[in-house]
Amino acid sequence: MRSYILRRLWQSAITLVGVSILVFVILRVIPGDPAKMLLPEGAPQSAVEELNRHLGLREPLWVQYGIFLRSVARGDFGQSFQYRSPALRVVVERLPATVQLTLVAMLLTVVVGVSIGIVAAVRQGTGYDYAGTVLAVLGQSLPNFWLGIMLILLFGVTLRWLPTSGFQGWQHLVLPSVTLAAFPTALVARLTRSSLLEILNKDYIRTGRAKGLAERIVILRHALKNATIPVLTVIGLQIGTLLGGAVITESVFAWPGMGKLVVDAIFFRDFPVVQTILILSATVFVLLNLLVDLLYPVLDPRIRYR
Amino acid sequence: MHEKHGRAMRLNRRQFLVGSGAVLGASVLPASARAQVRRGEIVAGLSERMLTLDPANHYSISSTSVLRHVFDPLVEVTNDSKFVPALAESWHAVNNTTWRFTLRKGVSFHDGSPFNADSVVFTLKRVRDNTKLIKSFVYQDIEDVRKDGDWAVTVSTKRPFGSLPAHLTMLGMLPPGAAGQEDAFFQKPAGTGPFRFVSWTHGDHIVLSANPGYWKPGIPKVEKLTVRFIPELSTRTAALRAGELHVIDRVPPDMVATLKASPGVRVLDIPAIEAQRWHFQLAKEPVKDPRVRKAVSLGIDRNVIIKDLLLGYGRPVVSPIPPGLIGHTSLGQKAYDPERARQILRQAGYQNLSIDFVLMKDLYPKQLEIAQAAAAMLGDVGIKVNIRNLEIATAREQRSAGNYDIFFSGWAHMPHDPDWYLGQWFTKAGAEKLTRFADPRVEQLIAEGRVPDPRVRQQKYEEIQRILWEEEPEIWPYYSVAIYAISDKLRGFEARRDYYVLLYDVSIG
Amino acid sequence: MRRLGRSPMALAGGLILLVVVVASAGAPLLTSADPLKPSFGRRLQPPRALGGASAYVLGTDNLGRDIFARLIYGGRISLTLAGSAVVLAAGAGVVVGLAAGVLGGRVDDFVMRLADVQLAFPVIMLAIAFVAVIGTSPAALVAVLALAGWVLYARTVRANVLTIRQLEYVEAARGLGASEVRLIAWHILPNTLAPILVIGSSQFATMVLLESGLSFLGMGIQPPQPSWGVMLAEGRDYLSNAWWLATVPGMAISLVVLGANLLGDGLRDLLDPHIRQ
Repeated sequence: MRSYILRRLWQSAITLVGVSILVFVILRVIPGDPAKMLLPEGAPQSAVEELNRHLGLREPLWVQYGIFLRSVARGDFGQSFQYRSPALRVVVERLPATVQLTLVAMLLTVVVGVSIGIVAAVRQGTGYDYAGTVLAVLGQSLPNFWLGIMLILLFGVTLRWLPTSGFQGWQHLVLPSVTLAAFPTALVARLTRSSLLEILNKDYIRTGRAKGLAERIVILRHALKNATIPVLTVIGLQIGTLLGGAVITESVFAWPGMGKLVVDAIFFRDFPVVQTILILSATVFVLLNLLVDLLYPVLDPRIRYR
Repeated sequence: MHEKHGRAMRLNRRQFLVGSGAVLGASVLPASARAQVRRGEIVAGLSERMLTLDPANHYSISSTSVLRHVFDPLVEVTNDSKFVPALAESWHAVNNTTWRFTLRKGVSFHDGSPFNADSVVFTLKRVRDNTKLIKSFVYQDIEDVRKDGDWAVTVSTKRPFGSLPAHLTMLGMLPPGAAGQEDAFFQKPAGTGPFRFVSWTHGDHIVLSANPGYWKPGIPKVEKLTVRFIPELSTRTAALRAGELHVIDRVPPDMVATLKASPGVRVLDIPAIEAQRWHFQLAKEPVKDPRVRKAVSLGIDRNVIIKDLLLGYGRPVVSPIPPGLIGHTSLGQKAYDPERARQILRQAGYQNLSIDFVLMKDLYPKQLEIAQAAAAMLGDVGIKVNIRNLEIATAREQRSAGNYDIFFSGWAHMPHDPDWYLGQWFTKAGAEKLTRFADPRVEQLIAEGRVPDPRVRQQKYEEIQRILWEEEPEIWPYYSVAIYAISDKLRGFEARRDYYVLLYDVSIG
Repeated sequence: MRRLGRSPMALAGGLILLVVVVASAGAPLLTSADPLKPSFGRRLQPPRALGGASAYVLGTDNLGRDIFARLIYGGRISLTLAGSAVVLAAGAGVVVGLAAGVLGGRVDDFVMRLADVQLAFPVIMLAIAFVAVIGTSPAALVAVLALAGWVLYARTVRANVLTIRQLEYVEAARGLGASEVRLIAWHILPNTLAPILVIGSSQFATMVLLESGLSFLGMGIQPPQPSWGVMLAEGRDYLSNAWWLATVPGMAISLVVLGANLLGDGLRDLLDPHIRQ
């Protein structure tokens, strides 16, 4: 196992370097000129050229990358083109809001999703199962922005129970996290139900069902363990995705998170911010997936890595 | 019971005394000693993110609005485009290439340092010399900035720079102490403005607090100002309706009815100094041919766009330069005549024309809707329009490369002066990577129109526009109307034609 | 096919999907309205049932176009694009996941690290890069959508394979000399089917939403063509005052997801080797 961990860590380092190179190259190769984005439409071409030069974008690609690596080694991820502040600071500023939203949404996903899944599986074929299906369908199909704006209109404008937007107190977390959790909750609920059913429907379980409560609880626990792995996989991916993928929810709720930051930075061609966020999120993904992979054998001792 | 009544009586008496004292004081005491009655907090919701705290480093309407509260410029512009004194008490053109500014005395920056000629020299030279600053290219024509004592400054320019005062309305004055430590300075900037900077989160919100020592009496009227940036329309309007915001900008016409019906909300609108413009790629077939452009112009029913799509929140265009600015004139309205358009195309031998209409994603309200409407209208005339709604960076690259026939754009005259618009889009050098416009007559007239004398400028600009009206290098479908929505608790808010949201003389309660 | 009949759920799901597909394919038969033709004086009409003009069952949009017409014509595009994307993502993901799980070792590491690299990039960025290289054709859009979705299948299948690979009866079969391919086909694949079906039937909505978000890059559908994704995007700014613009396509998407869910769950139940029929 130790050699596996070491191997994975080594690969992670390579992966991160690979990501940094890929980000760097892609940004500079796709059409779109940072200076043009900063200067107004009515700026002369000479001003555009001058600014590009200032931003260091006229050097050969490998020179730019070398400079970038040296700065990163010092902890300097460059100056954001948009904000003219250190890119790292701009990104880190968004961490609290992002982490809070992600954690609360994930908590909701696990608690609500697994609960619904259990109820639907244990009461397969009954009204509870169908209700679960309806909720799951809604969760998967309602567009993020639709759900978000409707919640704002209902709870923020009409009822005035909750704030409409922004990031200040715990009440501000409610609507965005519900909106963000809708899809993963539905997915987790369905996966839980499906995995539980696999175990619960085994012949010997069926015949054994008459045996009594204690035995049924043991079986349930066994079944849950079976469900843990796919659910864990989904959650692992969702956490990572949420860092950069919650952009719609963040836009709707004016939530100062990293999703909106990275998407705006991409549109603005703010290279330093995009680079910083992508490298950070790659690090998170790599470590998170490593963690999930390490948890598999813990949850299911039959799993071994070669 | 009795006690409450008594207390109420006492309060009333106190209020009366304070009130009458204030009235007496207002008529007897000098301005600076008058009791400043500042109360409350205003929260504004703007649709465009603010990117920087440096007045010289942006050309964004939103940033101009907000920074105007922290920094004062030399010259201010009123809502009807009159230039009035701010930090400069007066100014005049000594000759075609020299301006002289006389400065206001007794003003200090938020950090205590005094405002004087050193500040002006520093601010202007900085924006000219540091070519990394976004506003730098505008000030390249400045030859020298010299102080004339502590309270006057002379600016000499390489070419006539008649629009200098207009540009200066957007340039906040900085203290010379910022030199050499700009990064630190802009962490906590100090201007001379009605509000002091407190804090900001990049791209999310900024917090300002009143400057008690502001040089204009009675300003500001509130203790605290928070500006939040909320690009999402539904959220911005929801927050206003829920009472969380007191003012929002960029309200689209379709939301007006809903907002008017919301309790506690008022909607204000005013024609803006902005003309929408769809410019042609003048070096590309088929729009290179003036007859095709004429057919396109005749094929668009601008009145339907204004009436049905903008719900009346638009004005017909009578000259490329909007009303209120120097140079505005009346050249009549462009006709809608689809039959004649078809005829022109037939006579010119064009069949099955297909042109690309490029839009920059989400830049203008309802742009996609309007573009589709225009495309449908032109389809009736025999011109197939391919709408290409692109991400901004890509759209601008395509424009530089010349890969478009018509490009959806607009021009809000931020420095209330058309010189920039004309100089950029209608000179050969300026339009080279944009519209490929080149007309020596127009070029000459633009150069002649740069002198400070307003009568000369008016005449030159009228001539230029007559040529443009005839040549039709652009379609000007309408003048925009700026729509704002405010809480009815706000007093004194003025809907501005330049989209600025200025709140220093607005009170709440 | 006969077995399908034994699961009412699968039947119901399949029926729903069939109705949607047929309705979209037969759009010209269901309405004579032109989904592209604007009617400037009739903008934002509510659906007939809510008091709008009687000519419009589902009302009109911001350019006065018939929403019902746009819905069923748009369905063709969305069903094709999103459907293809899900199939492509699932296909690629399952293959990769199987390879990683079965072959293990270096293949597993390489492929999973590739997934990690890709996951670090927001879809928008990948899309922009794609547009720069391949262009904006519908095929390119399907490719980008599939790229956004394959990893979930790959990792889920891989995890499943890792579990099953060590099971006793699999070991026994291996001991008896069964080839890896046989093992995969008969033992491993059927067991991984359940999560794949669940994920696949969930992803349709995601794909439509992604398509909605990518349309502005010039990928997929350019106006005035309708697709459910385009209708959602157009309706976003009107949720406060003309909510049916975005809600109608949203409900259509829900219907497809419902059908897919029921079909997927029903199929899962049918194919579960542990369920006694």
